[in-house]
Amino acid sequence: MIQIHQLTKSYGNKKGVFDLSFEVSKGEVFGYLGPNGAGKTTTIRHLLGFIKPDQGSCKIDGMDCHREAAIIQKNLGYLPGEIAFFDDMTGIQFLNLMASMRGLKDFTRRDELIAQFELDTKGKIRKMSKGMKQKVGIVCAFMHNPDILILDEPTSGLDPLMQNRFIELIREEKTKGRTIIMSSHSFEEVERTCDRVGIIRQGRLVAIDDIQALKAAQRKLYRVTFKTTDEASKFAKENLTVESMYENIVNVAISGDLSQFIALLPNYSVTGLDVITQSLEDIFMHYYGREGSK
Amino acid sequence: MISMPLLKATIKSNYKVLIIFMVVLAFYFSMIVGMFDPDTLDSMNALIESLPKDLISALNFTIVDTSLLGFIAGYFYGFLILLFPLIYSIIVANRTIAKHVDKGSMAYLLSTPNTRVKIAVTQGLFLIGSITLLIAFVTLIGIISSEAMFPGALDISGFLLLNLGTLLLYYAISGIGFIASCFFNDTNQSLAVGGGIPVAFLIIQMLSNVGDQLSNLKYATLLTLFNPTDIINKVSGFGTSFVALFILSVILYSGGIYIFSKKDLPL
Repeated sequence: MIQIHQLTKSYGNKKGVFDLSFEVSKGEVFGYLGPNGAGKTTTIRHLLGFIKPDQGSCKIDGMDCHREAAIIQKNLGYLPGEIAFFDDMTGIQFLNLMASMRGLKDFTRRDELIAQFELDTKGKIRKMSKGMKQKVGIVCAFMHNPDILILDEPTSGLDPLMQNRFIELIREEKTKGRTIIMSSHSFEEVERTCDRVGIIRQGRLVAIDDIQALKAAQRKLYRVTFKTTDEASKFAKENLTVESMYENIVNVAISGDLSQFIALLPNYSVTGLDVITQSLEDIFMHYYGREGSK
Repeated sequence: MISMPLLKATIKSNYKVLIIFMVVLAFYFSMIVGMFDPDTLDSMNALIESLPKDLISALNFTIVDTSLLGFIAGYFYGFLILLFPLIYSIIVANRTIAKHVDKGSMAYLLSTPNTRVKIAVTQGLFLIGSITLLIAFVTLIGIISSEAMFPGALDISGFLLLNLGTLLLYYAISGIGFIASCFFNDTNQSLAVGGGIPVAFLIIQMLSNVGDQLSNLKYATLLTLFNPTDIINKVSGFGTSFVALFILSVILYSGGIYIFSKKDLPL
């Protein structure tokens, strides 16, 4: 469905994308992960036909993304990473403009989405909060029931409740057989929606794998707080991977099975137990470190 | 070849600017017509003679003849018409393409099944159309105010020809703004070039009018192709200028559309 073949676009300063190749097949939800400035948006710009590759090609449904952009758009929904609307319009005016530029006559889906996201469409876009603007963008991307969706950091600006609604939406669209590519810098978001994940760093694809494989390999960090420093140092000598320790706090790294770790805890007076959220970078550094040592 | 919904949206977000310019031009025009008085025109001429000669020529206030058309051509079409519609075309040309790209709203326009060419043609057509409307309005105001104050005094066919020349000049000037708007992704750059060039033309024209030493400068400004005195006196060569302006406009507008359809967009 979506084919990127040896795509290269250099902006100098090592910025851009280099020799990027991957495919997203029909009905697949593909998570596109990477830190800011890694080249996610550059890839998406190619898919939308906003920029031409220096080398390589991008195709959607067999059509060249730049040359045949207008035909591709008929069946594509796009949510830009940066929200920039026609400021002087209200939400509904903007959605109507987009619908009429698409020749869209059936507004059922649009109204469903407006209700689902509790979007107030009467206000001027200029005065909307970031989250509200993001909702307008989401409705705009999904309202014409496109088969292909390209979403650039779709949940940015949304509150946790709306993030959940969005994840539900993606799952719902997935059952309809949509092909979705969504960029993100949050592993949790991708974990809950995607079938396959590609990771980009400094313009190069460093990993592409099933979400299950990544999850299995994911290592979690737990912060255990003990009553005394003595107990902490005693605990640190147990057969566990200790990441670091500081006075009465020990950080333990565990991948997969937790039972051994949990079984040890009752032997100590534990006053606190927290999961440390790891950055995407950490997760994948670890993943690839393991792959390398195998 | 155009997107009607987009055209409507563009009209909606720009009509206020157009109306402001219409009002300002109508105000100045009727005032200038009101100043016309065949009896005292000679004394007016005398008054103008008494002002520093360089100032008069810089502003192009040359009294060609004592007819109403000559008066209007000298006072209104010599300078004011080169100023207000110029500002209008600079502002609106920038808003047609560059502003959407700079702000990012172009991403939405292009995520609909409309080609870049179609979007650029729609926006270009709005610019051309609104300028035509502005000049047509000025023409109408000119005829109405002349007929109201001095019935039968205006040589209407000559006046229409003068406005045709004005219109062609503005197609070319707005074409400069349009091609800059299509070329630059940043509104500051688009304004600097799309506005800077026409303003430079205006300044060069004023300088070239001042003295004989600088008169060769007239070859460096597009405004030389629009000479109100030559048009109303039907001096041979004004037709060639019309054709040149027309061809230039076609090149500038189609060049802008071509550039926009090919370039990389930072959206």
